[in-house]
Amino acid sequence: MKNLLVQINKPPYKGSQVLEAIDAAMVGAVFDCQVTVLFRGQGVLALWPDQDATGIEQKTVSKVLSALPTYEVKRICACAEDLLAFNLPVRNLAVPIEVVGYAEIAELMQNQDAVIGI
Amino acid sequence: MKYTLAIHGSPYASGAHLQAILLCEAILRAGHTITRVFFYHDAVNVALNTLVAPQDEANLNAKWQQLAHEHGLELAVCIANGLKRGVVSTGEAKRYKLDHPSLSEGFELVGLGQLIDAIATSDRYIEIPT
Repeated sequence: MKNLLVQINKPPYKGSQVLEAIDAAMVGAVFDCQVTVLFRGQGVLALWPDQDATGIEQKTVSKVLSALPTYEVKRICACAEDLLAFNLPVRNLAVPIEVVGYAEIAELMQNQDAVIGI
Repeated sequence: MKYTLAIHGSPYASGAHLQAILLCEAILRAGHTITRVFFYHDAVNVALNTLVAPQDEANLNAKWQQLAHEHGLELAVCIANGLKRGVVSTGEAKRYKLDHPSLSEGFELVGLGQLIDAIATSDRYIEIPT
């Protein structure tokens, strides 16, 4: 089993890269990888609660994210500094996350066999 | 050593493809093998058979085809990302009742599982971002 980190650092509704990265995380888990998803930079905006993208005819990213545990993606992390920078309500995000600092991110990356990033 | 490469950048809005082609050449020259080259996000556009490169610019589509032909590389295009960007094989064109396929020779539409499988069976995974 490989350890696979999917890093998301693009904003959720600028193109479809975030949805495509979530697809990679789900397929990785289906293929028996130990998958961790890490939100960084503008990527943390994908965690905003109460999203509704029907008005812009897109999939609502938070709804897709909520399916991650069903796909056995158990570890979802977000960068503490970036959550703070965007003033996100850590206790009330679209999905429960683990808040990680830069040192923990470095350690997380060292423990991976591969990092898929966008 | 076995390598898997994934290209994420658009062929002409980023330098990703030229960088990736040079990297592939260097990897092969050093005696390593490349398990699979996977095109994801906007990188799938390089597989369109309707691309016409200007005479004074690199023909990225042809460069990939040549590299694949010479070294038996597998050029794998993410099917979900490809379809929504107009990259369709003969089979998919039939399925969606489109007039013409648009996938270049030498490229193949595959599922994301092929990326994960390649990563799992390679020693190194290198991603060329957007």
